[in-house]
Amino acid sequence: MTASQVRRVVWVHGDSLSVTDPALSACPDAPALFVFDRPFLQAVPVAFPRLAFMYQGVRDLAAHRPGPTELRVGAVPDELAAFAAAHHAAELHVTRNFTPDFARIVDGLRAARPDLRIIVHEPERLTSFNGPLRRFFGFWKKVEREVLHGEPAPDFPQRGHR
Amino acid sequence: MTDALRLPPDLPPNLPDDQLPRVLGEALTGLYTGEPRLPARAGGRTAGLAALHAWTGEGYAGRNFLSGNVSRLSMYLRHGMLGLREVAAHARAVMRGRERDEFLRQLTWAEFYRLVLRQEGARVLGNLEDPKYPARWTDTLPDDVRGASTGLPCADAWVTHLIRDGWLHNHERLWFAAYLVHWRGVDWRAGYALFREHLLDGDIANNALSWQWVASTFSNKPYFMNQENIDRYSGGRWCRTCRAACPFRASYGELETQLFGTQP
Repeated sequence: MTASQVRRVVWVHGDSLSVTDPALSACPDAPALFVFDRPFLQAVPVAFPRLAFMYQGVRDLAAHRPGPTELRVGAVPDELAAFAAAHHAAELHVTRNFTPDFARIVDGLRAARPDLRIIVHEPERLTSFNGPLRRFFGFWKKVEREVLHGEPAPDFPQRGHR
Repeated sequence: MTDALRLPPDLPPNLPDDQLPRVLGEALTGLYTGEPRLPARAGGRTAGLAALHAWTGEGYAGRNFLSGNVSRLSMYLRHGMLGLREVAAHARAVMRGRERDEFLRQLTWAEFYRLVLRQEGARVLGNLEDPKYPARWTDTLPDDVRGASTGLPCADAWVTHLIRDGWLHNHERLWFAAYLVHWRGVDWRAGYALFREHLLDGDIANNALSWQWVASTFSNKPYFMNQENIDRYSGGRWCRTCRAACPFRASYGELETQLFGTQP
């Protein structure tokens, strides 16, 4: 099987509800899944309009991408594993977010499906800053030029990160 | 792996809005608070792009006033329906001068908080630093706060707006947070949980770190306001007709001593 024939699925989470999401952009034709996280929602109070807002986000991307988009309610690693199996997928693509839940879900999925290759796409960034952070003011001084003008200063990597 | 064969999916991805509360409400039974109803603003990239394209930034200099023109794009950014880069590019194209720079600076807070979350992980859900005053906070959100029945028209309005709209102006968020943490002595995490429950833009990074900024566990001093500040930036919305015993009616110096003790 060549790379172009590898069966892929995409995990769409609550930080990536757009057709421009890097994982979705990489796999426009692949089946995509959004899961309402049952254990999380059982433990954490969330008002209905927030969930409806997210549903509308999934609905919008489903209407704007060539591949199929599905929604399920359940435990996210379990649903992703089942979805990948149902589509005979060898790869699952997702865009990283920095929440602790993301790492937990990816670890859970790797444990449940060691044969499934998980491709994590990096989220879009506003700046190229990668140094340590403490206060916004110091951060702003480092990225100000880049944010205001849309591109890093020519000497940014050398001078700007430390 | 028997679940793998389960079909059809739990939810169709094409429910029209008029069916959405009923069908999604049934699918998520027991998994949400409040009544099933549509959000005050529609979700999705299409709606987000419409809001972005309608945003000219005119009047953003008055952003600290409740009547000021603010973008209300945060819920689209939070869910990735809009990207920080395209919002920044739009602002560079349509805004001018100091208003443009200020909008871009505010937008950069979202990136800053995401990067702090990347750096700190789950630690952002606890105090990142010691509070900068002798704080003795209780864990529980008082019933009168949750029920918008404190008797303070402003504080009750902040909670009402939060629950009704899933959105609050930044100044209302700051006032409410300062009221809850400093005046009522409630741990910021109780306020964080209330915001997480209702805010359409509520996420771990912005939400937890903004509360910590007010509480002084991620800033050099606690944020607080007085009645004059509320009156000015709300355009007198509550103060002009208010008959409550106002806990905010004092100078900043007096309130600082009252709330935080004598400052070094």
